[in-house]
Amino acid sequence: MSGPVSILGGGDFGWALADAARRSGREVIVWTRRAQEQAREGVTVTETLADAAAADLVFFAVPSPYVGAVARELGAHLDGSHRLVHISRGVVADKHTPRTLTQVLRETTPCRRIGALAGPIVARALAEGDASAGVVGSRFPEIVEAVRDVFAVQRLDVFGTDDVLGVELASTMVSLLSMAIGYGLASGLGPATLAMVATRGMNEAARIGEGLGARAETFHGLAGLGDLLAAFAGDGRPELEVGRLFAAGVTPAEVDKQVGARIEGLRTARWIAKYAAHTGARLPVLQILADVFRGRLRAEQALDALMAQEVS
Amino acid sequence: MRPVLKLLKQRILQVRPQLPSFPGRAARADDPAVFSFNEQRASVMDSVTRRIVSRYRTREPQELLYLLSDAANTEVRRLSSQKDAEAELEISAWRKLLRGNGRMSHDERVAALERICARMSGDVAGNFDPRVYGIALRIVPGLLTGVMSPGTFPRELVQPGWPQLDALIRVEGPVERLRRLARLGTLILVPTHSSNLDSVALGYVLAREGLPPVVYGAGKNLFTNPIISFFMHNLGAYRVDRRVQARLYKEVLKGYSFEIIRRGYHSLFFPGGTRSRSNMVERHVKLGLAGTAVSAFTENQLDGAPRPVFFVPITINYPLVLEAETLIDDYLKGAGQSRYIITDDEFSQVDRMVAFLKKVLVLRNGAVIRFAEPLDPFCNPVDELGRSLSPSGRAIDPGTYVQQGGRPVADELRDMGYTRELGELLPSVYRRETVILWTHLVAHVLYRYLVLRTPGRDLFTRQRVRDASMRRDRLDREVGLAQAKLIELEQSDRVRLGRAIRSEPPSRLVDEALEAWSGYHSKPIAVAEGDSVRMLDPNLLLFYQNRIVHLADDLATPETVKAARIIAAMGEGA
Repeated sequence: MSGPVSILGGGDFGWALADAARRSGREVIVWTRRAQEQAREGVTVTETLADAAAADLVFFAVPSPYVGAVARELGAHLDGSHRLVHISRGVVADKHTPRTLTQVLRETTPCRRIGALAGPIVARALAEGDASAGVVGSRFPEIVEAVRDVFAVQRLDVFGTDDVLGVELASTMVSLLSMAIGYGLASGLGPATLAMVATRGMNEAARIGEGLGARAETFHGLAGLGDLLAAFAGDGRPELEVGRLFAAGVTPAEVDKQVGARIEGLRTARWIAKYAAHTGARLPVLQILADVFRGRLRAEQALDALMAQEVS
Repeated sequence: MRPVLKLLKQRILQVRPQLPSFPGRAARADDPAVFSFNEQRASVMDSVTRRIVSRYRTREPQELLYLLSDAANTEVRRLSSQKDAEAELEISAWRKLLRGNGRMSHDERVAALERICARMSGDVAGNFDPRVYGIALRIVPGLLTGVMSPGTFPRELVQPGWPQLDALIRVEGPVERLRRLARLGTLILVPTHSSNLDSVALGYVLAREGLPPVVYGAGKNLFTNPIISFFMHNLGAYRVDRRVQARLYKEVLKGYSFEIIRRGYHSLFFPGGTRSRSNMVERHVKLGLAGTAVSAFTENQLDGAPRPVFFVPITINYPLVLEAETLIDDYLKGAGQSRYIITDDEFSQVDRMVAFLKKVLVLRNGAVIRFAEPLDPFCNPVDELGRSLSPSGRAIDPGTYVQQGGRPVADELRDMGYTRELGELLPSVYRRETVILWTHLVAHVLYRYLVLRTPGRDLFTRQRVRDASMRRDRLDREVGLAQAKLIELEQSDRVRLGRAIRSEPPSRLVDEALEAWSGYHSKPIAVAEGDSVRMLDPNLLLFYQNRIVHLADDLATPETVKAARIIAAMGEGA
C-alpha cells in the first residue's frame, strides 16, 4: 500500500507526520484551517476538507474537542474503504463516562477501520528522527500495518494492540500525569515523590480502565508508563509547561487561555472527578490531581492530602 | 423415564420423518430460497467439508494433529460419561483415532478429517419441506389455542385465522421494510433470548406477518419431543449438540451457517447463546455465528456476486416467563458458571406449559415481539431500498468495507474486527428496544424497597429474606413516579414501553402484576395483605426486575437512590 495519506491539522505534530510520510515516499495531503504558504514538495496543502477524502488513510491531528466537528464534515465524503487514525491525547467527557475519540469517529463517519496512535512520540522527536516507538490501538490489524508503512523509513517501531480503549485512556491519563510532573518539578518536589505520584496515578488509571473494559497491562506499556517516562526525561511536551504555570499560581482559566485547547489534561481532571463521584471508585492520587488542576488545592495541601491517604 | 420409553424415543429420533412423496405444491418464483433447500442440502454439506479440509490441508500439519486429537479427546470423554447405546457405537472409532493420530501421515489425517466433517455436517444439517411449512402454519396455532382452551379445539382447528393467539403476540417495528429487505438480501435475525418459547413464538409471528421462514440452529435437546422434532427437522432447523465440545464441531457449525447465509437463506440465531438466566437483557453476545454472516458477505463480494446481508435485532418480551423459576435458580446457584444446558425445565413439563398458556390467555397479553431497525454487517442502518446509510444519511456501498485499493480483499482479521463491533452494538440496541412491561416495573419497585430495607446485605442473604412487605400506598406512589420517568425516557427514545405502562394508573399496574404473579409460578411472588403487599419470592422479584436493571439509576427517587445504585451495580457486574 503506498497510496496518498491525508493529515488533518497543521500543528507541529501534523507537519511532523506529513514529513515522515513524505520521507516514506508517500504523497501527502495536509488539511488546515490556516492555509499557510508552506509549500513542500509532494505535499498538497488544502483548506477544503473534502480533498482529504482522496486518500484512504487519514490521520486526525487536531485537538480532541474539534475531532467530532471535523469528522462530521469530512464524514460526508468518506465510505467504508477509508481508514482513520487519530493521535489526540484525550477523551470527550459524556456525563460521567468518557467517550473516546475512536468512538466519536465511529459515530460521525461511516468508517469502521479506525485506530488510535499513542506512545512517546512527540513532534520534535519525529522531525529530528530520534529512535522511538509508538503503539496503535485498533480492532483492525491492517491499521497497524498502515501506520507502520507511513513510518517505514523512520526509526520508529510501531506496535499494535486491540485494546483500543486502553490505549486511548492511558494516553489521556498521561496528559494529566505529565502536567503533574511539570507541576511537581516547579514546586520543588523530589524525584522519589514524583515517581510515587506517577506510579500510583498510573495504577489508578489502570483501575479506571479495567472498570470500563480496558486491560491494565496497556497502561503499563508504551501508551501509558512508556509515554510518561518520556515526559520525565523532559521531551518538551506542552503539558509540562502547563504544570509549571499552575505551580507559578496562574489560574486555570488563564492557563486555558494561554495554552489553548491543546491541553487535554484539564478536561481529564474534570471527568475524573465526575467519574469518581459517580462510581464511588477510590482514586486518591488522581482525585487530588484533579483538585489541583481545578484550582481547589495548593501544592503543599496536595502533598499533605496525598500522604494522609492509606496506601491501597 | 422408563428404559423402554427411552429406547423408543431414541429410535424415533434416529429416523428422519418425511411426508410421503405425493405431488406437492408447484414451486413459485417468489418462494423464499429455503423452499428449495433440500435440493441443495447435499451440496451445502459438501461445501462445509470441503472448506474445512482445504483449510487444514495447507496449514501446518501440527494444527491438524491438534485439531483431531482435541476432537477425539473431548468426544471420548463425553461419550464415556454418556454411557448409552449411541456412545458405545461411536466411542471405539474415536479411541482408534486417538491411538493412531500421532503415527498418521498428513494425508491420512486429511482423509480422517474429511470423514469426520462429513459425518458431523450430516448430523447438523436440517431439512426444509414446504408442505410441512404449510401444515405447520395451519395447525400449530390451532394446536396452541386448542391446548389453551380444549373446549373450542375442533372449531378453532377448522377456522382460518387464530384470533386468540393473534391477540396474544403483538408485533412492533418496521415489518413492511423487513418484507422488502427479505427480497433484496439475506436477513439475519438476532433476537434476545429468554425462553424456549422464543423460537416458536417468533416462527409463528414471521409467518403471520408475511416474513419468510428462517433457518436456525436449535439445541439438540429441543429435538427430544418427537412432534416438535418433526417440525424442526422439516422447517430448516439444524441441530446443535451443545454437549459436543470439540473445536472441529464448532468449525462445522460455523461452516454450515456460513454456507447457508452465503447461499442467501435467511437465518436466525440468538447472540446471547443461551436463555438469559438472570432475565437481564443481554450485555455480552457470542460472536461466532455473527462472524459467519460477515464472512459470507465478504465471500460474495469476492465472488463478484454481492448480496446484501441485513442484521435484524429483535427483542422478545414477556410479562411472565415460562421457565422463570428454573432460570433464576440456575443464575443464583451458578453465579457465573450456570449450566449451559438445562433439560429438565418447565418447557419439558406439559402441565406447566398448559398452565402457562392458560395464564397468558387470561392476561390477554402474551408477548411483545419488537423488530429493531435493520443494520448492515458494518453497523450502518439500512433504508427501504436496502441501502446502507452513513451518519449523514447518505447511501454508501457496503462493499467498500471489505475493499482495499478499490477492490474487495479477503481478510479474516478485518472481518473479525467488524464482528466485534456488531457484538458491541447489539447489547445497546437490545437495551433500547426492550419493551418494558408492567410486571418488570412493579417487580423493580418492590425489589428496590427490599434492598432499601436490607442495608449491608449481600445478594445471597438478601434473597433469603422472607415476608418483607411494603405499604400499598407507597408502592403505588413509587410505581407512579417510575412510570412517569419511563414515559419521559420513552420520549427521548431511550426505552420502549408496553401499552399498559403508557396508559394505566399505577394502582392498576400493581393489581395486574399481583394477578399475573399468582396462579402460574409454583407460589405467588407477592400478595396483597391488608394495606400492604407482602413479598413471598424475592428470587422471582429479582428475575422480573432484572429486565430493567440497567434503568435503576434513572428510576431512582431521592429516598431510594442508594438502593437503586446497589441494584444498578448488580447489572453492571453481571
